[in-house]
Amino acid sequence: MRRAISILLTVVTVIFTGCSNSRQIETASIIKNVSVDRRGGQVVYTFYRLTSAQKPWGIDVPADSFEQACALAGEKFIPNLSLAKLELLMLSEDVYEQVMQDDVDYISTQASFSPIAYVTICDDGAIDRIKETNRTQTLIEEQLILIKKNNPSVNINYLSIFNNFAREGEESFTVPYISSEKELKVSEFKIDREKMKKFSK
Amino acid sequence: MQTEVKFSSKRFLLALLLCACSVILLQNNNLSPNASFSFNAICIASGLAICFLFFLPSLILKKRTDSDVPTLARRYTPKLRIPVAIFYSLYFVYGALYFLLPYIDMFHTKYFPGVTPCLITLLMLICCAYAACKGVNVISRFGIFLFLFALLTNILMFGGSLSELDLGHYGFEFRGDVNSFVQNTLYFVTPSFIAVIFACCSGVTRNFRFRQPVFTLIFTGLKYAAVIFFVRFALGDYAGRQTYPAFVLSRVAHFGPFAGIESFYLALATMSVFMIISLFLCCISRGACTEGNRKCVIIFTVIIFALYVTATYINSVKEILSNPVLLLLLTFAAAVMLPAAYIFVGRKSNAKGN
Repeated sequence: MRRAISILLTVVTVIFTGCSNSRQIETASIIKNVSVDRRGGQVVYTFYRLTSAQKPWGIDVPADSFEQACALAGEKFIPNLSLAKLELLMLSEDVYEQVMQDDVDYISTQASFSPIAYVTICDDGAIDRIKETNRTQTLIEEQLILIKKNNPSVNINYLSIFNNFAREGEESFTVPYISSEKELKVSEFKIDREKMKKFSK
Repeated sequence: MQTEVKFSSKRFLLALLLCACSVILLQNNNLSPNASFSFNAICIASGLAICFLFFLPSLILKKRTDSDVPTLARRYTPKLRIPVAIFYSLYFVYGALYFLLPYIDMFHTKYFPGVTPCLITLLMLICCAYAACKGVNVISRFGIFLFLFALLTNILMFGGSLSELDLGHYGFEFRGDVNSFVQNTLYFVTPSFIAVIFACCSGVTRNFRFRQPVFTLIFTGLKYAAVIFFVRFALGDYAGRQTYPAFVLSRVAHFGPFAGIESFYLALATMSVFMIISLFLCCISRGACTEGNRKCVIIFTVIIFALYVTATYINSVKEILSNPVLLLLLTFAAAVMLPAAYIFVGRKSNAKGN
């Protein structure tokens, strides 16, 4: 009798906990990274899905903020959008002043986002490079870990960037910058908080 | 039916320590954001001092009579046995829901948004009912395993957050006001619910020493201080934006490129809540019938589940069941007033006997 109850409970646990409202991994849209740039005067958020293919699979969502982009992406473009595994947010140097503070602020309120996902500013060439191959993201992440190791004052994730925005009395802080003249190169980039305040809602 | 075998009091208090520590895993969001770390340390000390005062009557009872409130209610006041049992049952049902609601909410929002919360609750309660049927002795044995697991999780959580500490920006200044002191101290009195478990189940333990609950509260205080320290200095202002900062702390913990031990954290929270509810059900069955009485355990498990379902649909019920002041008042009555009453009743009947 006891054994029968134990087997029944085990079966119930296995069957019910994961299967209600479940999603196959192939059909779920797990986003690995997001790039933000300006095209034709409009800010465009590109969501790159997790894929085993060599070439990244990106979906462009024109929006004014990350919050709006996530809502639009979920409604119109990617119904099963999952941002829990987001690892990298790349902001083009053309748009970072406009969106960075509000986007990081929005991310800090979301339960599912990882606070140690990387945030970086980059030139247009780096944005183009990430569209070509999945290897680029790995390369960027390796470079970011390296720059943090060499200079601990560089803020490479949401957590530290949010805390720097929240801090009173400091004019600027540094974040990584990715340039792509010949090969990807990471350097330091100064963020002026006063400049950002003009754009922040 | 379980035969009453006395077991080590140390093991029982280890189980209570784990229950007390789980509060900070689930409800760190109740702290005032205006208070600094050093101010919170004072709040922890005063909160746990009040907890010790809550413990005192049942400690005296245990020392003098080597018994607990349900046993004494049967011995000294047979007519009042049922009202006392009803009051303790009410308290433990309320307490079970008080801890179950935030845990299920965290599990649902942070980890498995696709799963129905009622289903998780049902499975959790079935496991707790099974454990409660086995009795306090078996649950406290599980406490040894849980203690080792908690130790590992805490080492990983704190060790992995060391590199994120920002002691320069978030200094050790003393900042806080009267309101913050009251709010935070009230929060740190929450672990006093373990005094009620002690008042109901201490009769089955042997080799009790006064220093055991003192050490339990000191270790609880150290755990709270460590969590608050790391939340303040590793997460900074980001923690204020999140509902469960201790969960974020486990997510931030990293060793080189390997990041996040939230599955460990969630397992620890699950096992801690499991232990609390199992002990509550044990206390109910000890008070209402006999320890491990299956019918009694099943009836109260169904009541807890029904109240949980009601609370998920009716917000006002949820608000009542999550009210810390109400829990504190009930704890005061269950941990202080009733045991104190039985100290006097015991003295009186002893005087009559002499």
